[in-house]
Amino acid sequence: MTPLEGSTLTTVAVVMVAYLGVLLFIGWRAAKMTHGGEDFHLAGRSLGAWSAGISSTASSESGWVTLGAVGMTFTYGVSGLWYAPGCLLGYLVNVYLVAPRLRPLSANQGSVTLTDVITQRWGDPRNVLRLTSTTIILVCMMGYVAAQMTAAGKAFSSSLGFEGRGGYILGVVIGAAVITLVTSLGGFRAVAWTDLFQGLLVAIALIVLPLYAIARLGGFGALVQGLGAINPDFLSAGGGRLGPVLWGFVVGQLGIGLGYPGMPHVITRYMAARDDRQVQRLQMIAMFWGVAVFYGAGLVGLAGRVMLPGLADGEQALMALALQLVHPVLAGLLLAAVISAILSTVSSQLLVAASAVSYDLVEKTLGKASDDHRSLVLGRWTVVVVGLLGILVALSEVRLVFWFVLFAWSGLGAAFAPLILLALLQRGVNRHGALAAMLTGTGVTVAWKLGRDAATNPEIFARVWWITVLAAAAILILGRLTRAFETADHVAVVAAASLTVISWWLVQQWGLHNLYELVPAFFLAGFAALAVSAITPISVEEAGK
Amino acid sequence: MEEYSLTFGAHLLLWTFPLVLVVLVILEALLDRLKPESER
Repeated sequence: MTPLEGSTLTTVAVVMVAYLGVLLFIGWRAAKMTHGGEDFHLAGRSLGAWSAGISSTASSESGWVTLGAVGMTFTYGVSGLWYAPGCLLGYLVNVYLVAPRLRPLSANQGSVTLTDVITQRWGDPRNVLRLTSTTIILVCMMGYVAAQMTAAGKAFSSSLGFEGRGGYILGVVIGAAVITLVTSLGGFRAVAWTDLFQGLLVAIALIVLPLYAIARLGGFGALVQGLGAINPDFLSAGGGRLGPVLWGFVVGQLGIGLGYPGMPHVITRYMAARDDRQVQRLQMIAMFWGVAVFYGAGLVGLAGRVMLPGLADGEQALMALALQLVHPVLAGLLLAAVISAILSTVSSQLLVAASAVSYDLVEKTLGKASDDHRSLVLGRWTVVVVGLLGILVALSEVRLVFWFVLFAWSGLGAAFAPLILLALLQRGVNRHGALAAMLTGTGVTVAWKLGRDAATNPEIFARVWWITVLAAAAILILGRLTRAFETADHVAVVAAASLTVISWWLVQQWGLHNLYELVPAFFLAGFAALAVSAITPISVEEAGK
Repeated sequence: MEEYSLTFGAHLLLWTFPLVLVVLVILEALLDRLKPESER
């Protein structure tokens, strides 16, 4: 980002401090209303349509929407917008199929987390599903949280005028400390309310800025002429791509939407809605927010391409346009919107990771069931510990963690999205099928992603088949030693390992590496759930339903 | 000077899709309001 100077820097810094103050105030207010475990993990199922709707959407879109999505159209023109229908189709599935079914199901079950929904839906007498689900969530979320803290730290240090390595550290610590404090004090309610505030800020920024920028250009016609003059391919839906490259790109961009039903930090918002009426009302709110934000981000990228010909990094277009076009106070608010998109996701993921540890592992798996007050205290301290770990990882910039981040969206989406859809819409799945789906989704995602990046990781990709066999053997031995596995669970592990190796083979044989990994992983995970359930039938009574 | 314009596919992607989506969402909400309270 362009370094800020003089009075602009002072004004932007004042706006940033005010923005952080609002977050802390919301956290303090929410803390006063948080009295027990269910309050902390699910806001006591009390959210209205606006907070549930905007919180679900703001949590799902990280800094990606104000940085990456803007960069897509800046780089590729109109064809960079294919992510928008993909994401909006994901929203449609979430708010019209998942939310109306998930809220009453979780209320009837008394389930608090996504893992809870899965284990109670299919029964989990030996905690196999709970441990598998919690492990996948923790691995994906910790990497995600650390990466978002890194992004927030960079944005803060630029906005507040901090320089060098020391400035970066200060930026990470300020952003992460505020959001960890707010989340630990107010739990789910604070996260939902700060999401509402930040989500509205992001939406307003992405409506106002592109309209103003296009007006300054001389209207939409001038934007089209400007883009065509740079590259005529910027005005087509294919962007000059042809054949398999075009289809791989379009299917991959549309495939982003497949992940939404599997995001624990998103669908828990529907579980926290007060009643079915709130769910119906949040549908329109979420869809409108999505259209405004995705298309707003796309238009910012297009306008930025024409107005900022010297900008090297398209992902900086929103911030650069804000500083060039509007008064420093408004620019400060627009920069706050960029950071809001990041922090609203961090807080949600922080809470999901903490709930996975304090609720799913300590309270449920280890059986340290405590009273409501102890559950609240445990939750709060877990958020602090997870937040500190996130800060440490962000500051140390451990490469392995950021490697995991690459899998976070597709890994969570493939492991949980088909499972949640099957849990809500399909009756023919049992707990062994559920285990197969989670393992297959994760395995295929990693194998396919490595295949897509085979040029950068050729050694690891070549060893995928035997790493998969070793991992499957380790899981089977662990299941045997702990006596947690039933015979049918062995079938699930073998099926998941087989599908992972087959997908690895397919990537090489058919040259399918252009295809986004979530697409094959999603469908293979769904297939694994149905196939394993078909060959390992268990009675309804046994399933605990 | 050459005149540029959006292709048909770009029109669909850039504004037809979101417009149709918004109209459908509004229609769905209106239809839902017309239902009796017991059927919602």
